[in-house]
Amino acid sequence: MSGLRDIVLTDLERAGAFDDAERTFQMTEDEFRLFYEQTARPVWIYLARMTSDDRLADDLLQETYYRFLRTRTAFESDDHRRHYLFRIATNLVHDHRRRPHRERTSLDQSGTRDVISERLDMGERAVQRLDLAKAMGKLKPRDRSMLWLAYAQGFSHEEIARMLGLRTSSLKALLHRARQRLMALLRVPGDRS
Amino acid sequence: MIRLRTASAGQVRLREGMAGQAAGCPREVEVVASILDRRSLRTDDDALGTHLETCEHCREAAELTRLMSTDQERARRDIRVPAAGQVWWRAAVRARLEAVQAAARPLTWSHGIAGACAIGLVMTLLGFAWPVVRETASWTVERALEVVPVGVAATLVTTSARGGIALMVVAAVCLLFAPVALYLALSDE
Repeated sequence: MSGLRDIVLTDLERAGAFDDAERTFQMTEDEFRLFYEQTARPVWIYLARMTSDDRLADDLLQETYYRFLRTRTAFESDDHRRHYLFRIATNLVHDHRRRPHRERTSLDQSGTRDVISERLDMGERAVQRLDLAKAMGKLKPRDRSMLWLAYAQGFSHEEIARMLGLRTSSLKALLHRARQRLMALLRVPGDRS
Repeated sequence: MIRLRTASAGQVRLREGMAGQAAGCPREVEVVASILDRRSLRTDDDALGTHLETCEHCREAAELTRLMSTDQERARRDIRVPAAGQVWWRAAVRARLEAVQAAARPLTWSHGIAGACAIGLVMTLLGFAWPVVRETASWTVERALEVVPVGVAATLVTTSARGGIALMVVAAVCLLFAPVALYLALSDE
């Protein structure tokens, strides 16, 4: 009988949503604003790099914070919160990847819809980043996540292992192999200035 | 300046084979942290800087960290994420909607259970009352036959049976169409 009538959210109920939110979510709006300002950009970039789709990254960002707000986990520190947030983001990317192909957007067309890449300045840096996006796109999803979390976010091996559901002992070897694979794709000769 | 070009998958496999199994370096994490903290390895930590010159693993990790962190820093400046208030508002509305839906679900279940209980109760009461009803009916018929002549009684019985059949037909139609009527009454569409 639950499907007999649609539930319509009236303006009154919508206004009440804000009162409820303080009770439903695990932090107040002010606390959330502060936390969001600190974390939204790195999380968005992570999502965009993992999916190669900016619009999808926007959607997943909203979903990531919604799930984070609804969690009942007791956080020990801000770092713990941040790790948990990236863990949610990682799971969402993996969930999206498991969906049937026709439901997904251009996950494997690395860089083709990347607005960031479109805004690149001319020159060497632009070439580097395009190459990075292209090379990252050739890696396995898990390798992509591992490398970004380790070398762009600077998470420890233990933290990455927890986020990806791997054993810490095996992560080091997996990360090393993923790095070799990426460096080989980038073909870095080592001529640094 | 690092020169980057994309290699083919075959070249990558060849390089992987040459590279062998993972070895790593215990100072890799330190090197990555130093770069991400924007510390200059040469000026802030001579020992780490010297190590970087001799350790191939750390040099590779340092190059990759610089590349990725540069990419991230540039992206941080360029991108526009939704405002915190907007994300909070959407989350609040969605939470409210889910709460309303969750509240409606047990209500409908409880309605169903209550209906089933009521039907069960009526049937049980009818079961208990049936012998009394039957005895009363037969006693009434006996008394009536004593008072009314047989010919008149036969006419009365036939008439009441016709009325009974009509009532039963009406009741059956009601039972059949009651769920449909209930659905139409409760459905918004």
